Amino acid sequence: MIEGALVNLRPREMADVERNARWSADPELHWLLGDRYARSLAASEASMREIASKATAFDHVWLAIDTKDGVHIGNCRLFETSAEERKTKLGIWIGDEAYRSRGYGTDAVRAIVRFAFDEMNLNRVELGVFDYNTRAIACYLKCGFVEEGRRRQARYARGAYYDVVVMGVLRGELVVSR
Amino acid sequence: MIEGTLVNLRPQEVSDAEWNARWWASADCKWFMGRRYDSSLSAAIEETREAAVPAAGSRDVWLAIETKDGVHIGNCGLSEVSPEDRRAKLSLSLAEPERRSKGFGTDVVRTLVRFGFEEMNLHRIELDVFEYNERAIACYRKCGFVEEARLRQARYARGVHHDTIVMALLRDQWREAR
Repeated sequence: MIEGALVNLRPREMADVERNARWSADPELHWLLGDRYARSLAASEASMREIASKATAFDHVWLAIDTKDGVHIGNCRLFETSAEERKTKLGIWIGDEAYRSRGYGTDAVRAIVRFAFDEMNLNRVELGVFDYNTRAIACYLKCGFVEEGRRRQARYARGAYYDVVVMGVLRGELVVSR
Repeated sequence: MIEGTLVNLRPQEVSDAEWNARWWASADCKWFMGRRYDSSLSAAIEETREAAVPAAGSRDVWLAIETKDGVHIGNCGLSEVSPEDRRAKLSLSLAEPERRSKGFGTDVVRTLVRFGFEEMNLHRIELDVFEYNERAIACYRKCGFVEEARLRQARYARGVHHDTIVMALLRDQWREAR
């Protein structure tokens, strides 16, 4: 378990599957994360089984975000991790709406990025975020991510093109406290 | 076959495996294309076969670059195609000595870009290039690509970290520039 100030990050379990299926059908999350097609429960189960049956390791970091009371509120992961480049990509979402804008996401970002630097010995964590997801961008900036550029019109949704903001944080740039 | 002014782009064939293995093993390919480890001929055959006969559902387009005399001088492709966002990633590698000769790279990029916009009906074509690959960056710029982002220290080779540059060309801008 990875301990933050407000949340704990733990491996994902089969028991999470229904909640995950519900989140993965939420149009608001599709809009924010880029999914388009809702998943059947069967498809969610299949992907959950694949994620949960593999041991967490350098190239397999899929974590559930729990409050300190043990309420599962979202997920995060590190992917496309390169051993030689010592870099990885971060994906994170707070699925439970009631827990957004309350510091849980920021705490989870800090916890997983600190883990990437201090335990996995990585040098760079990067991410892509849609330009209209201003809440997420503010959170990443607070954590020390730098806007490195903008992939123009790389995202199409709700009938229009949007930019994808590319952000990265290097070892030593993570802002741990507010 | 896709015809350029100086080159033709034709599908990859399994018989290109030996040429590919030789190119992939070169110091140049490792430095500019980011390959690290030599492939056995069997691995190269496998990889070339995947390019020649893409898996069901793959939208990748992998092509061999030939001079008008039929000499194989490099490879290129459009991959990571997103039909909804109408974008793809361009890749290009040219072996010596043709890389030094003027015009081949530019002709390949122009030909491939035209195919992407006019036949695949893409909206955006993007690419990654290492910051020290100045000749390639100049070529992409000449073809209308714009630098959109600089991924700090995203590349590690020859003992140090280097930046990776993201460049892209949007269909409207490409059309206007013609």
